Amino acid sequence: MNATDLAKLRLPETTVEKYGRLGWPASLAGAVVVIAGALMSWSFNQQVLGNLSIYLNPGALQILTIVVALVAMVLLFSVRGPLARRLGPWLDTTRGLRTAGTALLLYMIIVLLAIGIDGNGLVNVDPGGWVSFLGALLLFAGSRLLPDRVGLQDMEQAKLPSWFEILVIAITMAAILFGAAYALGLEDAWSFVLFLLFAATIAAVALRLGVLSWFGHIATRNRKVLTLAAFLVAFLFPFTQNGSDANMSIATQVLIFAATAMSLNIVVGLAGLLDLGYIAFLGSGAYVSAMLSGSAFATIHWKPPFLVVVLIGATVAMTLGLIIGSPTLRVSGDYLAIVTLGFGEIFRLTMFNLDGINGPLLSNGPNGIPAIPDLKIGSFNFGDEHTLLGIPLGRFSNYYFLLLVLIAFVIVVFARLNNSRIGRGWVSVREDEKAAEAMGVNVFGLKLLAFAIGAFLAGLAGTIKAHQDVAVSPDQYIFLESAFLLAAIVLGGMGTIAGVLLGATILKLLPEKLRFFSEYRLLFFGLLLVVMMRFRPEGLVANRRRLLEFHEEDEELAVAVEQEHLTVEEAI
Amino acid sequence: MSQFFQQLVNGLTLGSLYALIAVGYTVVYGIVQLINFAHGEVFMIGAFGALSVYLLFFDGQTGVWILPLMIIGAMLCSVGVAVLMERFAYRPLRNAPRLAPLITAIGVSVFLQEFVRLFYDKIPTFPSAKQNIPFPQIDVVTGKALEVGGVTIQRAAIFTVAALIVCAALLWYFVNRTKSGRAMLAVSQDPDTSRLMGINVDRIIVVAFVLGAVLAAVAGISQGLQNANIDFRMGFIAGLKAFTAAVLGGIGNIQGAVVGGLVLGIAESMAIQYIPGQFGGSSWKDVWAFVILILVLVFRPQGLLGARVVDRA
Repeated sequence: MNATDLAKLRLPETTVEKYGRLGWPASLAGAVVVIAGALMSWSFNQQVLGNLSIYLNPGALQILTIVVALVAMVLLFSVRGPLARRLGPWLDTTRGLRTAGTALLLYMIIVLLAIGIDGNGLVNVDPGGWVSFLGALLLFAGSRLLPDRVGLQDMEQAKLPSWFEILVIAITMAAILFGAAYALGLEDAWSFVLFLLFAATIAAVALRLGVLSWFGHIATRNRKVLTLAAFLVAFLFPFTQNGSDANMSIATQVLIFAATAMSLNIVVGLAGLLDLGYIAFLGSGAYVSAMLSGSAFATIHWKPPFLVVVLIGATVAMTLGLIIGSPTLRVSGDYLAIVTLGFGEIFRLTMFNLDGINGPLLSNGPNGIPAIPDLKIGSFNFGDEHTLLGIPLGRFSNYYFLLLVLIAFVIVVFARLNNSRIGRGWVSVREDEKAAEAMGVNVFGLKLLAFAIGAFLAGLAGTIKAHQDVAVSPDQYIFLESAFLLAAIVLGGMGTIAGVLLGATILKLLPEKLRFFSEYRLLFFGLLLVVMMRFRPEGLVANRRRLLEFHEEDEELAVAVEQEHLTVEEAI
Repeated sequence: MSQFFQQLVNGLTLGSLYALIAVGYTVVYGIVQLINFAHGEVFMIGAFGALSVYLLFFDGQTGVWILPLMIIGAMLCSVGVAVLMERFAYRPLRNAPRLAPLITAIGVSVFLQEFVRLFYDKIPTFPSAKQNIPFPQIDVVTGKALEVGGVTIQRAAIFTVAALIVCAALLWYFVNRTKSGRAMLAVSQDPDTSRLMGINVDRIIVVAFVLGAVLAAVAGISQGLQNANIDFRMGFIAGLKAFTAAVLGGIGNIQGAVVGGLVLGIAESMAIQYIPGQFGGSSWKDVWAFVILILVLVFRPQGLLGARVVDRA
């Protein structure tokens, strides 16, 4: 067995040939045993991972294993048995099963660890836990013995009625909504990790089967339905919380972060300009909003209507962007990174110093501006609890809806720009500035535009953030926050919408739910940036053109991108 | 007038520190066109390396003979970290789009800071790096300040300036008189041709990182001696300022980095003294340093002494 085989958890060919026919029965037996184990008690200690100690009444975490095992059984039956004709030719069942086996094994190991650590020793693992573990092991081993699938049909060519496609989108979205609501409700870190692992397993299995790329195709075919469904799901989320504000507070923070990351995505992802002081634009919007909020600590005693504040805040941010961008965008991109970094520091230091002693009184220095009153638009006060359809919606839910409008706006701006003449200009500047200039693209103008739009949108988000956070202070706008925004984009996939939303959610949600992780989170984020750039620079959700930029030698991909463009042009 | 000289001395001290770090940015940039954003952290690691040597072997002593050993310890740590990061973070990205190594550099920087913050006290008897750590006081180079005609000169300041002079001389010798140094110049002029001439470019890149790290380590000790304490964040602002110095002098130009560092240091000190009103105090000096950076980029992007590479989009 050589090193690559080891890395891919693969058996040597001779073993597969010899015992290959055992693979299918072994996998099936494994899946059945996992289910049987999940119907038994896993843990003697009833306090661990919810209650997993009742026979024939599986707890939530046990149901998750049953779901994965059932998926595995469906896959096995589409290799041989009742589903072989309908599903068999389409799905890459072997790779899917291998992923399911590995994930299930990992899942059971974590469960055993959790019971062992939190419940005082492995003695507390009941027979069911061991049975499921053995089942997972059997599935893991059996799936490795299955032969590789060849001659599969391309899922893209699958012809299914369009109502079915829409149904699939609806079900997926509903699953995401309930999954998110459920995950946020989990108090215990182990359960949260296990649930995440479950979600990742489903996604990975779908990817391996080829279902994910099929989903991508139906998503492009039914783009409007998908967008609508996504917003509907986001809109419905507060209604799943029963008026509890704890999770809504996290959700609003995720939204602010995602909206800012999305705006930065215009600068970094579309125009390819690295901005390391981006948080300063968010900060300037927030400070303007705080100063004009009528707070008792505000230094400007003028309180215009909020819409005016929003415009002022965003304009101030944009002006700062223009001031900082116009000298630096003419020189090489590396300078821009450092100058923006310096600008971020200037902003923070200035806000720190404008306290009336070291400078004019404007920002109250290190204390910042606390006690910012809640937003009031018309007669609607964002601080009050409102009841809609009998479900109480607290303060954070109100902000959540407002932020949803904001992020929708940012996404629309992003998408429209991306598909416009300007967007194509940005791509050309990003890929080869000199060539773009030679073709008559106004390089400087386009760069400045990207910078200004990005700053404007961040300022916009800042004006809302100030009210939602109740206070602004300089230490909210440190360099690490900028690095964090960048990490979200890099992790998710530069220049994509879904990717950046995913990246922002992961980066903001994980530290909130995993408190033990928060001490090490920066260490991990540093490592994450390095590892992502090394192994997957295009991010979790990659756009094909972007993929090509990072993998220039890949001829097949180049041809695919070329064809994609041709079809798009024909469609237009 | 003595005010002026006092600020000049302060500025020279500060500038020497910037110059020592700036050389690292400029050398690496000149060869691989990479802004090694994590170079500030190499400087920080140098200071911690020196402190570690002191705590491990000489805790409580103050003899000046310890200093060379601390310097060696600092250099070993800095060089080790610099070589590792070149090997594992930057080298795989040699032909990647320009954004990739820059993002990696940020990642390395954050990682190193956090690594020191979280794990420094895991070594037995070492203090936690979550607060400022007092830096050892050594005979001769720290202690009672000298008074020359109404101007106060800290001993650590003399050490810093002397270190810069020695390092600059050695650097000049290395670059112009040794085989590796001249190979380095050749690679920075034209990597492809120098490869054809039989120069091992990969090795020269490592040499550039090592060179930067050695000077950064000296700077780390100087900073420790001057401020009497160090912390894991010290590399961030210092690195940023040193980069400003490198740009000011003309990035890619080694003499430029030294001149730029000194000019920046003096400008900063003078700003504290001579900018009138509330904006003059020391709380604004960092702001002025960055304003200088921006002004240089507007009016003279090639730097004071002229950069070798200006616009390489």
